[in-house]
Amino acid sequence: MSAAGRALAAALLALASPAFADEIKPGSAFLSPEMQRQQEDQGRNPGYLWVEQGEELFSRRESVSPTCISCHADPGQSLRGAAARYPQVDRASGKLINLEGRIEQCRVERQKQPAFGYESQDLLGLTAYVASLSKSVPLSVSADGAAKPFYEAGKAFYERRQGQLNLACTQCHDDLVGQKLRGDTISHGVGTGYPAYRLEWNGVGSLHRRLRACSLGVRATQFDYGSDDYLALELYLAVRAKGLALEAPGLRR
Amino acid sequence: MASFNARITMPAEAKAGEIVEVRVLVRHPMDRGGQVDAEGRVVPRKILNRLTVTYAGEPVFRYDMHTGVSANPFVSFTTRAVETGELTFEWREDGGATFTRTARLVVT
Repeated sequence: MSAAGRALAAALLALASPAFADEIKPGSAFLSPEMQRQQEDQGRNPGYLWVEQGEELFSRRESVSPTCISCHADPGQSLRGAAARYPQVDRASGKLINLEGRIEQCRVERQKQPAFGYESQDLLGLTAYVASLSKSVPLSVSADGAAKPFYEAGKAFYERRQGQLNLACTQCHDDLVGQKLRGDTISHGVGTGYPAYRLEWNGVGSLHRRLRACSLGVRATQFDYGSDDYLALELYLAVRAKGLALEAPGLRR
Repeated sequence: MASFNARITMPAEAKAGEIVEVRVLVRHPMDRGGQVDAEGRVVPRKILNRLTVTYAGEPVFRYDMHTGVSANPFVSFTTRAVETGELTFEWREDGGATFTRTARLVVT
């Protein structure tokens, strides 16, 4: 795009933002055009290094257990859209689990292997790979039935003031979207790009790692990876972003 | 730590004399060192310090990296398609380890 074209696009974007203030936009909409292009470019988005790692793990032949690929044959088809339905309530246990939780469950219960551990590079790779299979699929997470209490808990978390700064998620991510916080632009706080490569991390991290950073930012309690609080919040964020396309592995600042 | 991993993006085919763009993304922490570990020892620097690329046996690109280069570095360069052959990418890491990847360019 020429410099003039970029300037025009930026001007259009600036014009469009107040008009659509209520419409939830993905995190990438708040990036510079250059970073947006970098995210879409598989040769430049470092998140694909993790996707590659996950793909390798997924199809690796292990002598001890069924491999991922032996059940999920042709993952490009069979798992397309799977990531767009998480978090969801696990029928057997009645607990809310996200994509990371489901992969760990498969590993422990079906493959009889020790869990990778949340935020391990292997689990991040696998999650990034499985999520990348649902690229551009619109989020369709259910808030009804068994998920209802979790959704309510997540919504309450989102709206509750917390931490020494006494801020609720909604005060920034609904009321101040598009404004600046330090050097960055406040987004709608949707997790469609996660696991994402964050420049600040020099690597790929999960949505829960990002949520922990937010909690730290308002000097509130940082909950554990995979904790019930963050799972419920993840569910609320996913329902709130219903219809938005998944873009993992995203590129974030 | 995760293994070394490289993504090389370039056209598989080119016409003789054509300029081709080669883009290289690698996974490496590029640890600049200098931190003190739990035992009080200084962590040595461990970065990829050089990328050399040869094409049909001839060196075509060399990139010396220093501690200012980010983790998971990306670099792109262009070269002229002369003959069908292998592009060999070799990264040299502090401590002497090397990583090699190849990509084939078919010239028509």
